[in-house]
Amino acid sequence: MIDLENISFDHCIKCTVCTIYCPVARVTHHFPGPKQCGPDTERLRIKNPELLDDSLRYCTNCKRCEIACPSNVKIADIIQSSKWKYFKKKFRIRDYFLSHTDLIGNTAVKYSGIMNFFTALSPVKFFLDQVLLIPSKRIFPKYARGTFRKWFKKFARKKQSAFGTHVVYFHGCFVNYNEHGLGKDLVSVMNAMNIGVTIPRERCCGVPLIANGYIEKARKNARFNINALRKTIEDPGTRIVTTSSSCAFALKYEYANLLEMDNSSIFNNLNYITRYIYDQFQAGNVPPMKPVTIRAAYHSPCHLERMGGVIYTIDVLRRVPGLDLQILHSECCGIAGTYGFKKEYYDVSQKVGSALFKRIEKARPDFVITDCETCKWQIEMSTPYKVLHPVSILARAFEK
Amino acid sequence: MNYDCLIIGGGISGLTCGIRCQSAGLSTAILSAGMSALHFSSGSIDLIGYDRARRIVHSPFEYLKEFTGAMPDHPYAHCGVDTVREALVFLRDTLKAEELEIYDNGERNHFHVTGMGTLKPTYFSQRSVFNDSIRQAFERRAKIAVLNFEGYRDFYPELAISNLLKNELFKNVEIVTGRLVFPDYGDPEKNPFEYRSIDIARIFDTIQYLDEIAEQIKREAGDAEFVAMPAFIGINNYKKHHQILQMLTGKLIYEIPTLPPSILGMRLDDALKSRFADLGGVLIAGDKVMGGDFLDGVLDHVHTQNYGTTRLRARAFVLSTGSFFSGGLVSDSGGMREPVLNLRMSATSPRNTWYSPQFLDRKGHPFFEFGVETTGKLNPFDAEGKVIENMFCTGAILAHYNPIGEGSGGGVAVSTGYYAANQIIKACGK
Amino acid sequence: MKRIDTEAIVIGGGATGCGILRDLALRGIKAVLIEKNDIASGTTGRNHGLLHSGARYAVNDLESAQECIAENRILKKIARHCIEDTGGLFVTLPDDDPGYHRKLMEHCKYAGIPCEELSVGKALKIEPNLNPNALSALRVPDGTIDPFRLAAANILDAQEHGAKVHTHTFVTAIIQEGGTATGVHCHDTRTREDFEIFGRIIINASGVWGQRICALAGIELRMFPSKGAMVIIDYRLNSVVVNRCRIPSDGDIIVPGDTVSLIGTTSKRIEYSQIEELNVDDGEIEVLLADGEKLIPNLSRTRVLRAYSGVRPLIDVSGDVDGRTISRGIVLIDHAARDGVEGLVTIAGGKLMTYRLMAQMAVDLACKKLDVSRKCSTHREPLPGSELTMLPSKHIKYFTGIPQSVVGSTLYRHGERVRQILSLSKHNYALICECEMVCEGEVEYAIRNLNVKDLVDLRRRTRIGMGPCQGELCSYRAAGLFTRLKVATSDESNGMLIDFLEERWKGMKPILWGDGLREAEFTYWIYQGLFGLGDVAMRGEEGDK
Repeated sequence: MIDLENISFDHCIKCTVCTIYCPVARVTHHFPGPKQCGPDTERLRIKNPELLDDSLRYCTNCKRCEIACPSNVKIADIIQSSKWKYFKKKFRIRDYFLSHTDLIGNTAVKYSGIMNFFTALSPVKFFLDQVLLIPSKRIFPKYARGTFRKWFKKFARKKQSAFGTHVVYFHGCFVNYNEHGLGKDLVSVMNAMNIGVTIPRERCCGVPLIANGYIEKARKNARFNINALRKTIEDPGTRIVTTSSSCAFALKYEYANLLEMDNSSIFNNLNYITRYIYDQFQAGNVPPMKPVTIRAAYHSPCHLERMGGVIYTIDVLRRVPGLDLQILHSECCGIAGTYGFKKEYYDVSQKVGSALFKRIEKARPDFVITDCETCKWQIEMSTPYKVLHPVSILARAFEK
Repeated sequence: MNYDCLIIGGGISGLTCGIRCQSAGLSTAILSAGMSALHFSSGSIDLIGYDRARRIVHSPFEYLKEFTGAMPDHPYAHCGVDTVREALVFLRDTLKAEELEIYDNGERNHFHVTGMGTLKPTYFSQRSVFNDSIRQAFERRAKIAVLNFEGYRDFYPELAISNLLKNELFKNVEIVTGRLVFPDYGDPEKNPFEYRSIDIARIFDTIQYLDEIAEQIKREAGDAEFVAMPAFIGINNYKKHHQILQMLTGKLIYEIPTLPPSILGMRLDDALKSRFADLGGVLIAGDKVMGGDFLDGVLDHVHTQNYGTTRLRARAFVLSTGSFFSGGLVSDSGGMREPVLNLRMSATSPRNTWYSPQFLDRKGHPFFEFGVETTGKLNPFDAEGKVIENMFCTGAILAHYNPIGEGSGGGVAVSTGYYAANQIIKACGK
Repeated sequence: MKRIDTEAIVIGGGATGCGILRDLALRGIKAVLIEKNDIASGTTGRNHGLLHSGARYAVNDLESAQECIAENRILKKIARHCIEDTGGLFVTLPDDDPGYHRKLMEHCKYAGIPCEELSVGKALKIEPNLNPNALSALRVPDGTIDPFRLAAANILDAQEHGAKVHTHTFVTAIIQEGGTATGVHCHDTRTREDFEIFGRIIINASGVWGQRICALAGIELRMFPSKGAMVIIDYRLNSVVVNRCRIPSDGDIIVPGDTVSLIGTTSKRIEYSQIEELNVDDGEIEVLLADGEKLIPNLSRTRVLRAYSGVRPLIDVSGDVDGRTISRGIVLIDHAARDGVEGLVTIAGGKLMTYRLMAQMAVDLACKKLDVSRKCSTHREPLPGSELTMLPSKHIKYFTGIPQSVVGSTLYRHGERVRQILSLSKHNYALICECEMVCEGEVEYAIRNLNVKDLVDLRRRTRIGMGPCQGELCSYRAAGLFTRLKVATSDESNGMLIDFLEERWKGMKPILWGDGLREAEFTYWIYQGLFGLGDVAMRGEEGDK
């Protein structure tokens, strides 16, 4: 059966610019590039789904091909949807483990001490490497104790009613299970700007599920999130924000383009956080800031690039007094969500990122700043530098 | 977002305009939907190569005086010859600031050799494509070796040589070919027979293979003092590595533009973007302008695919979105239009007059001359025919010139971009 | 002058001529084929590639319908790699006479063509892109056939059985001795050589051009050419053949052919003098696109790649100048009986579908004249590549290391011969045409084994330049390979590159809008802007003068 939802491949005029800018094709022969894996062979797969190359699996879905394309071809979307349309489903416990972040996260935070201890043990790493095919070199993000939601309920929710304006916060799995600090920073930044925070019910945005082919589960989560978020914006002026650029990208773009879900009810209200803060700053809502004397190198994540959100982050950061900001050349860090957690792609992942790592080391910053949690893991693992979120920088500047 | 100047389209025209505006202290943003046509260009800048009878033009500025008089709607006529001259100097200096040195022949055209062995008159070339040593080698009819990597599928020296030898200038010149073999690098499983120019350029960028390649060049070129190779001698370190190769081999090494991607064009693209960024300009990549709204007779803001409801405001707008290829103009079976603001276009109908009967018609096809109609100041007209005073159209979106037929694509792009920038700078009081 | 002696001379390298050559060769008769251009370059290669079930003819032409279903079954066995058993639908749309549906069913039954009534829901499941407002649907065993591959496979088999082929060679005269045609005088347009071939029988299988061949022998035979225009769209919009269930008319079929879909056809009588310069006018394109869209609404969103037309060779049997007795069926003329010229036979009419039957009929007659008793075996013997000794998946596995899309495409085009074409050496599977996945090995194989003389011939054997970009990168690469493989000089390669681009342009011009226009602009940028190829073309023309 021919599914002609994404027929943008029809606009490809074979200029091959996408292949020049593909970070994966640059480092491995396994991936012949987005043009060949996307529009070229999509025509063939429509003819016969068996003309499916294994090389498709190497695409990280970084979307840099789409940014480069002068013909508006949704190259990465074509490749992603081909992956789950045509590849035979094979159950892999590792992929299940990596992609079902809610399920694993909820369990892990209960036993976070043990989890973090175990995942750092070399015999466990050996087991993960040999049996689950998760590379032993990969460092796992630490799990927090308890969830961010619990913290919020216990310590923050009550105070929020004091504010006249509210923002809806989609915190995502990373904040909920791993890095409460970022969520706390978000609350303090918003509160400093005289804005209250509410957190609606949410499920994993679906990025790891999409990447691992759990499409029905991703659609289910998408439906849940769209419904839950829609309810929060009955007042059309209400804004929804995320602190994860990939969550924002999924909610805004992957839901519509890949999962074919109608997210128009939330599309215009939802944005990555720096865009919201930018709007507030523009409107004059700029709380006093104290100087933050940090030399930082800013890395722009692929999905934020694709959304066009980088300029907001940069603009917001440039207003922080004392922040010595160097903008790194835009490059993929290579981790691509769960991609870098898979043994078969680990080397590719590190090679893709190597140019960025070199640039960071050349910059010798105090910290690296980036908007994406997986970029953070990758950079922290591959360079000696700690990575901060732009919201955490603001939190420091707003501190009294 | 608010800017002094918002440029839609990040090709050579938009970048020239942006660099000029930003360097005059205007806050400037360039919005681009996809990479520019520079990636497919020869990497030389043509000013005007052929006259209206398609004879070769040797002194372009002299010819332009007469030409612009006869062609009042031509973009060069709008800019004026003096601005064209200034614009090209500006471009050369801009590239120089990024250490990309350009050969110019003192206001005269020179020839560059194409991948098919034909000669094209052009105004600026990169120094690996033309310089005085190359000219002297040509003049004393030095022996030439055209070398290629074995199996590189985007260049065939034999095809070029047979055409080259038919040219008066190369009569009795001895031209030989030779094959270089890819050094064993990084990924042995990679299929070297599927390399594109960019893959090879990246090999050249790493210093470790230069010795080996130099040895091969010496062996294959024999006593030829002059070596021509497809343009893939590096993308980041090309300048240094080209020099090293010349030094190691003791030969003149010269680059020929290849099938896309064009490394020579990408070097220009890199240099211009990096200049723009260095000056503090904002480049918004991968987004598409969907439309704009007017306020008090001027364009107030535009909105884009990615920014949704956010309005991009500016005092002046530049539309340099290119021709059909780049999406600056669109067509369907019923006609053509400018998609962002439905600006008034030059007359285009009927459909069977859009093209020439022969594909390789040297005059170019009529559709190349279709485009947006402007005033002498490059201001377009809206759908009702009213002039949009704070908007300027530059580059391939413009009507009334034939970039390939005249050999004027690069020159028009740069001159109109520069000319628009001058007016914006003046209007902003800088 | 060079002289070739043989037993049978076949004029015309269309499907019929190729089929005849194969049939002759399999019956052990020495034969030579002359084709003025390339194999399958005339009417054979200019139709919509439908493997008729016969249903299209069932109502009006029972004989053709029965021939079609019989040949349909044979071709599915002997030409596996040239056909695709897609199945076909006859769909009644709201504008159509609902009674035709029943009528067609009844006539199919009578002609022995399997015909199954489907609910619209089921039809939509089979073909999701179908117009959902359809009223009813019938399923018939239509399929698709690649005429280039079919003709080439026949020639390949014939050559492997000793037959000889001269393409790009004109017949300039029929040599006659005392009322008997004994040979032909030829001119090779590439080598510019003249030569003669002598044989005991000449079979004129040159389709609509048969009128001229007959005239060379002093025989009057009138053809009534009818032009049919078609439009090719960028990808396979439908997976089964979709017919409009109505009295045959313009724009009533969409055939999925390899990687593309074709909308066919119009029908317009033209003068005989116009058969060399066929063009497609805007009116024809509008009709085809508008009607095609009624069958498959998605069509309006799709890029149109090309428009082209072919000429149907309708023949006048009786010598009646008005053409009232024109036959659409197969016409076999023994000129000894009709015109008193011994040694010359003309076979014409018919359709691509019945090429094998026509060949069999012509060769049966030839055998009678040559006193050869061996029976036809072309209905049993699979064509080279169609032997089906193993499953396609096994071939793909055999070439582990080469992308599946490349192996699969080569296998699709050449069947079992894939083993001769591909090897694991890296230059062999480097892609030349990236749209249609034609690798260097396939180009080399075609040049060496499939009578390829230039780039246009190569396109017919491999699909080079037939994808969305219409030869933007691959034409230069392939032209270079001709020189690298030392089968053409540099000048020849340059010349064939120019000819190829001009040939592609013919089909692009009539549909030059949207992405097609963008593609053309880009291609012009490369070949004129970057390469200055127009200068070479101009010099070539001056040289000719």
